[in-house]
Amino acid sequence: MKFPRLFLPLSALVALSLSGAPAAPAVDFNREIRPILSDRCFACHGFDKNKRKAGLRLDTREGALVGGKSGRPAVVPGKPAESTLISRIRQSDPDEVMPPPDSHKPLSSAEKDRLDRWIAGGAEYADHWAYLPVTRPTVPAKKGRVGNPVDAFLRQSLSLEGLAPAPEADRPTLVRRLAFDLHGMPPDPETVERFVASRDPGAWEKLVDTFLESPRFAERQTQLWLDLVRYADSIGFHGDCTVSVWPYRDYVLRSFQENRPFDRFTREQLAGDLLPDATDETRVASGYNRLNRMSTEGGVQDKEYLAKYAADRVRTTSITWLGTTMGCAECHDHKFDPISTRDFYSFAAFFADLQEQGFYDRGFGDNEWGPKLRLPSPEQKSRLAELDSAIARANQELDAAPDSEREAGRSAWEAVVLALDKAGGLSWKIQKPAAVSTRNGAVLTVQGDWVRAGGPNPDTEVYEVRLKPGAGRWTALRLQTGTDEELPGNRIARNGTTFHISGVDLELPDPAGNRRVELARVQVSASSEGTPGLAMLDTDPATTWSVGEGHSRDHQAVFHFAQALETTGTSELVFRVRQESPFPRTTVGRFTVALSALASPSAAGAMIPDDVLKSLRLPAADRKEEDQARLRRYYRGVAPERIAPLTALARLEAERSMLLGRVPATLVSQARKEPRVMRILARGNWMDDSGAVVQPALPGRFSPGSGTNRLTRLDLARWLTDPSNPMTARVFANRQWKVLFGVGLSRVLDDVGSQGDWPSHPELLDWLAAEFMSPTPALAAPGRTAHSWDVKHLVRVIATSAAYRQSSVGSPRAVEKDPFNRWVGRQGRFRLEAEAVRDTALAVSGLLVERAGGPSVRPPQPEGYWASLNFPKREYVPGVGEALHRRSLYTHWQRTFLHPSLAAFDAPSREECTANRVNSNTPLQALVLLNDVTYAEAARVLAAEALHRNPGARNPDPAIRWAWNRVLSRAPKAAELGVLKDLHSQQLGRYRGAPAEAIELVSVGSAPLAPDLPPAELAAMTAVTRAILNLHETITRN
Amino acid sequence: MNPLPTPDLQTRRHFLGRASRGLGTLALASLLDPHLLAATPPGLASQGLVNPLHHPARVKRVIYLYMAGGPSHLETFDPKPRLGELHGKPMPDSFTQGQQLAQLQGQELKCFGPQWGFRRYGKAGLEMSENLPLLGSHADDLCVIRSMHTDQINHDPAHMLMNTGSIIPGRPSMGSWLLYGLGSDTQDLPGFVVMVSSGRGGQMQPIAARQWSAGMLPSRFQGVKFSGQGDPVLYLNSPRGVGREDQRKVIDAVNRLNRLEEKRVQDPEIQTRITQYEMAFRMQASVPELMDTRREPAHVFDLYGCRPGDGSFASNCLLARRLAERGTRFIQLYHRDWDHHGNLKNDIRLKHDEIDRACHALLTDLKQRGMYDDTLVLWGGEFGRTPMSQSGNGRDHHIQGFSVWMAGGGVRGGTAYGATDELGYAAVDSPVHVNDLHATVLHLFGVDHRRLNIRFQGLDVRLTGIAGEVVKGVLA
Repeated sequence: MKFPRLFLPLSALVALSLSGAPAAPAVDFNREIRPILSDRCFACHGFDKNKRKAGLRLDTREGALVGGKSGRPAVVPGKPAESTLISRIRQSDPDEVMPPPDSHKPLSSAEKDRLDRWIAGGAEYADHWAYLPVTRPTVPAKKGRVGNPVDAFLRQSLSLEGLAPAPEADRPTLVRRLAFDLHGMPPDPETVERFVASRDPGAWEKLVDTFLESPRFAERQTQLWLDLVRYADSIGFHGDCTVSVWPYRDYVLRSFQENRPFDRFTREQLAGDLLPDATDETRVASGYNRLNRMSTEGGVQDKEYLAKYAADRVRTTSITWLGTTMGCAECHDHKFDPISTRDFYSFAAFFADLQEQGFYDRGFGDNEWGPKLRLPSPEQKSRLAELDSAIARANQELDAAPDSEREAGRSAWEAVVLALDKAGGLSWKIQKPAAVSTRNGAVLTVQGDWVRAGGPNPDTEVYEVRLKPGAGRWTALRLQTGTDEELPGNRIARNGTTFHISGVDLELPDPAGNRRVELARVQVSASSEGTPGLAMLDTDPATTWSVGEGHSRDHQAVFHFAQALETTGTSELVFRVRQESPFPRTTVGRFTVALSALASPSAAGAMIPDDVLKSLRLPAADRKEEDQARLRRYYRGVAPERIAPLTALARLEAERSMLLGRVPATLVSQARKEPRVMRILARGNWMDDSGAVVQPALPGRFSPGSGTNRLTRLDLARWLTDPSNPMTARVFANRQWKVLFGVGLSRVLDDVGSQGDWPSHPELLDWLAAEFMSPTPALAAPGRTAHSWDVKHLVRVIATSAAYRQSSVGSPRAVEKDPFNRWVGRQGRFRLEAEAVRDTALAVSGLLVERAGGPSVRPPQPEGYWASLNFPKREYVPGVGEALHRRSLYTHWQRTFLHPSLAAFDAPSREECTANRVNSNTPLQALVLLNDVTYAEAARVLAAEALHRNPGARNPDPAIRWAWNRVLSRAPKAAELGVLKDLHSQQLGRYRGAPAEAIELVSVGSAPLAPDLPPAELAAMTAVTRAILNLHETITRN
Repeated sequence: MNPLPTPDLQTRRHFLGRASRGLGTLALASLLDPHLLAATPPGLASQGLVNPLHHPARVKRVIYLYMAGGPSHLETFDPKPRLGELHGKPMPDSFTQGQQLAQLQGQELKCFGPQWGFRRYGKAGLEMSENLPLLGSHADDLCVIRSMHTDQINHDPAHMLMNTGSIIPGRPSMGSWLLYGLGSDTQDLPGFVVMVSSGRGGQMQPIAARQWSAGMLPSRFQGVKFSGQGDPVLYLNSPRGVGREDQRKVIDAVNRLNRLEEKRVQDPEIQTRITQYEMAFRMQASVPELMDTRREPAHVFDLYGCRPGDGSFASNCLLARRLAERGTRFIQLYHRDWDHHGNLKNDIRLKHDEIDRACHALLTDLKQRGMYDDTLVLWGGEFGRTPMSQSGNGRDHHIQGFSVWMAGGGVRGGTAYGATDELGYAAVDSPVHVNDLHATVLHLFGVDHRRLNIRFQGLDVRLTGIAGEVVKGVLA
């Protein structure tokens, strides 16, 4: 598809209508007039024809010149006195004055004068800056030393304002700044040392290039991107169930690591499934279209939620790529920008081909959240293939012998079962335990037939139940799990959601020593994916039988003995249920144990379903063909000669299921055969079917005209990064500028439309956008060729500027003249983002585990934080080992209850596209840094390291200095050291007198202890490192 | 060029000497030092962004009793004898044609008569459920709005609308708006506190943290959830082995070091940081003090019908009174378990019991302490329930008509405002939309809902969206 150049009616009109020479000093329409008109006038006199008052529109020059119903022109170019716009704004009568008083948006007299001058000067309009095509401006001639083009633009505007750039910041500050901006974490001490000591004139450029190649750079960029696309690990609506889509996050990581061109990155996410050369990688990328919130709430109507998901996609895609707020056009034409409801729904129609549901029925299976893609490793792939063919072979062999060959066996079996049925032998004999015990502290109590677990809930547990069945001959044991109101969540397990059983064993102690009963097979009523019943019979505690979310009812597992078990009147059986899996505290909460005496040929008789029994009980003459068929079918599963091959098959299937359970899966886009019909919904009302049907189309002003083929997501993606599209490159460059300076050149990151912010340096922004799309080879890193849409190149160009290296402390004069630093005469100073706050503590303490990608992890969080989550109820189970100390990028993102320490530092819930995080300063942040176990643990580990590196108990100074330097990359000043020495000596005395509390403090968290250090000294040094980790400077990038 | 989202902020910031980024710096500054903004007309002074107030305030705080799950108006505050007469008969098509249903989609719609009787209470003879006698003793103070309606028929989006006026995540909740506009009256406790209690029926719809989010406002305006389980506020307790005095010493060192840095770099955020550490330290003492109700006299527990720290709705009502006394502006008590799709008759009886004494106690307590006249008590859920039966013994979600009530300062007591039709299906007389309710609440605080806004994504966002009318008929 070819995209035409921008259609520019306004500029054309301006060019034609210019008449005479302007009488007053030129007024820049976009900079000085448009913001006034947009904020005060367009709501009633703008693009939205339904809200337009008096027939007057002021968003086009044509409209202003024609005027409204009054028939008099609002604007007469060159003649303010004849323009009704001027007479109305200068009215004193409240019924006449514009804007009307009840809008609460009065014009200042300066603004009125400006409008006056604008009309006097010819009332020129200009197209909104963000909609003008990107043309590469000429770099202003450089004065003095050769610099980077970024500096050329900035210096020009600074000198026009009578300002000068701030001096270069000191080297430790520079390397910290670069590390926080490019990596989202502090630099390694060696990196600081090397850079500070380097005399290489190209040291900075080399540092930038090294940082750009680090996996940390990809992690940082990924974090920024995930806010925009609202990536999370849960579905967001109602029950907010977890969903696996982390392979998409890893795709984003790889893309930034490999510096994938941004246009390709765009195509793969929007249309990775539609690309002619689609691969698993691009299909994973297409998960972008599936990151919207989803609902499992009963009573949800498909149609309503499909409309919600569609609107969400329009909002996200338009803000992410175009920096344009299309959201309001869901219900009405945009008041400030030329976007109509038709545009909104036509944009939504691009995504109408996606396979999805409005309501997702929670449960198991491949279709849980719509289309997904499994991503086996090569080894998993080949093993799966082997298993598939082995399973096919086994099925073939089992099917080889027809039912007719088993008729004799079946008659014999029927006779036995019928005899037992008559004698009441088909039922299970529930065994009331003679004794119960546990290994790790849980308390079992017997209530009627049931055994209930209470008391402590240790991570792993083994229940032991002693049974006295009396004399008999037993063929199978049944473990039944039950629901219990006293249990949390969905009331089947002690952790609230899921139980896991890693193994069971059965013993019949006899005088000759314990005898283990061999369990040949197991049948279960249901199981979670990848956790078959057979997992209880292998020796690996990591494999389990598990039942979880969505299965809140009784379940059973029937264990068939390899040989019948003979008991006497005094025999005592010992049955153990093991929960020794890596899933802590997931033990069964309530259960019964029963035995079956059902004799040969198969204990499976004890699970004979009612309909089979019914057929069986009929006299042969009364059986219909369907009864015979049912019995033949059932007998296929219990015929003695088939037990061995069936068990072998079950093992193969169990292995396949367990393997599949370990294969990562991710949501992807998959196109329907027929796209859904998309209508314009009047005022967003999804029940109104009267609106016009729309086809996918770009917003009106960008429309490539009528084509014959329906446009696709791929067309949309191509247009988004077509060089003729003026927005995408500007928006992306502006956001990178914000990362590197704290404020964008245009400060409104999510709306570049009329209500957005006129950029401080439009030419610089355009130059950056042009440089992003087509890099200047000379500006590329040595030895690298920059490509079009090159993210690393864009960052490099900005980060290697002198402006980037300025001090963040401005001279008093500069602060006075430019308080908001719009002219970039100094660097920014701002608090680190939530992830970087935590990653800093982990990094400087040495706890940080740096490994890119993989499933999301769960660091500790306060108990009870998820108490208001339901459907299902669940308890947060923190991870173990490395999972506790990974970078915060990998923290499990629960949309409705985001990890509270990240949320305290303004991490967004990612329910909605976020282009601009707020940055606040709250008492809750102080509580997190002071009290969260993560920070207390980091402090005590950092303290131990400081003492280990600086032995010598007498003088704490070296250790304090070392810790300070490790955290802040600089030496403490004398006054600073003094404060911490005072704290240390006071705390040392205090903890020497309270050894128990010292031990408590120095064992906070799960990191290894430092037994070689005296607890009081370590505790006192921990007070010092807690103070350092709480400093404003520690969480500030400057 | 228009360098600031709200032009008048610039001069105020200059006045404060705070050339700072971000939103609401002014509001924070005044939170920290109420004396900074003293030069406002008498009676209209506020601690927040709206200063002076747009008109005199009637109340200083709200206690919002939020009945999550969707209480049936037909068994609480909206008597419909005609519905009882039609019990078991088909619901007339004229009511339901083309209307949205939740779980009743595609089912035969039958009338389901009120499961409990109504009584007249007070001098005004306000009709309420026969099971609410204690609350009924306040009938002449209550204003029941019987003509509420909303747009969202499922819990999660309906909660969003009721709290933020929008179903798009990222909008500030009402409590955050009030804190942003009016500031806080307490230096020791958060200005916006949320608590959640559960009922005995076991139908616990989830409630997302975004219901008390500050959205695009700075997070210092968000609701802080107090919990009966674990730490009352997240991260409130010092690490193990760290006593109160140790914590004080560490914070002293942090603040001294931060002051040294401030001298070097003149960053106004540092002063804010220091203040927030002091606030955090005070909260570590004031929150446990607040939550520890054991020193309340026995007659107070008798009045509320709860025991210290039992986590019940009544217990939270008592804590709400304690918060109100200490200056918290927006206190929101979620009480769950109103989602009566089935077994309505028995289960709503449990709810009657849970709220009757607790609400009575709260109103009585506020009156006895002289706080009734400047407190707004608001009771209501996210939607109502159908006049049609679900499975013969319950009611489905319903958005066309439901009831809420208000009491306290500025409220016209002994009033039933508006009405639903004869079957309790749709609000027909003086309908009140959620946006109107919000406009009315802000009005009681002296705030014009059209003038409390923030620029976001190029739009002036406000609690009431582009709608909302103050409901004059509920005002005294």
